[in-house]
Amino acid sequence: MTPLPDTLLTDLAAAAVAEGLADAVFTRLDSPIGRLLVVSGPGGICRIGFEEESDDAQLAEVAARLGPRIVASDAELDRVRDVLGEYLEGGARNGLAALDVDLSLVASPFRRTVLETLRAEVGPGDTTSYGKLGARVGHPRAARAVGTAMARNPVPLVVPCHRVLPGSGGVGSYAGGPARKRALLELEGALPPGLSPR
Amino acid sequence: MTPPLPPFWTLVEAHGDELLAHARRLTGAAEAEDVVQEALLRSLRAYPRLRHAEHLRAWLYRVTTTTAYDAHRVRGGRAGEELTDEPPAVAHAPEHYDDGFESLIDPLPDEARRALRLRFVDDLDYDRVGAALGCSAVAARQRVSSAVRTLRKQVAA
Repeated sequence: MTPLPDTLLTDLAAAAVAEGLADAVFTRLDSPIGRLLVVSGPGGICRIGFEEESDDAQLAEVAARLGPRIVASDAELDRVRDVLGEYLEGGARNGLAALDVDLSLVASPFRRTVLETLRAEVGPGDTTSYGKLGARVGHPRAARAVGTAMARNPVPLVVPCHRVLPGSGGVGSYAGGPARKRALLELEGALPPGLSPR
Repeated sequence: MTPPLPPFWTLVEAHGDELLAHARRLTGAAEAEDVVQEALLRSLRAYPRLRHAEHLRAWLYRVTTTTAYDAHRVRGGRAGEELTDEPPAVAHAPEHYDDGFESLIDPLPDEARRALRLRFVDDLDYDRVGAALGCSAVAARQRVSSAVRTLRKQVAA
């Protein structure tokens, strides 16, 4: 069977957004670290997923929180695509901070605070540790809980959990895999000494 | 507990191609894309108010059929064997979706048919049925119940 033409899908999504029918809009973006799924709700970007994660599962997660009227539109997320694309191609790295982020997929107030603090205080080129990030939110012994907050970060890249490293050395783990974490740190010129990317 | 509604676009990506084929059978190739686009927009409007997450594919077929009829784009010969509302090869007949809906409401005036489709096919509440018909929610409710009464009499007769 013939798939629906792109023009039809584009027009449908534009009409849906214009009529206020969309609970969230998503786009798929090819980048040097693989294909990304980017979902944006009323408050901004609410979910970013790497290509290993299932699109349907991620969209269902957003639907459960923001509503089931989810549509695809590259045009609606034009600016987000540009900023992410430029950042990942190694261009301007400050654009990410200017994007709106919606943490409504984060149910725990503690994790939300940790993510907000990380985003506000640890810029590109900079890194911190799980323990230090805990200390910034008033819980210096909560390194493990901070680690969980990072592991469950629904919006990697825009909430830069790749900038949080283990106090014991190395790049540590990453939802998108350690190789991606290393690549992002290298992109930002923040790769710890002795950890050259393979 | 009823399962949550899947993200709407998941349905579009899963069934868009067969809905287009369905619309082509109803209207011919030239009009089919417009019909599908309008049908999907209607479906999206009604989507959060669906009372269950079952038979969504059949529901999309139904909305596509209704949209094709509303646009008066269906090719002549309603009795033609091609004109079925139901998706091909469904494992079980979706009983909420009465096969004979269009033929049942066929004798009613246009306005009454529209009101019934908006209420029972698009699954809109009366505020929205009213908005679509350009009347109040109360008037929309009256129009739907009066159409239902007429149908009852007709079926009883």
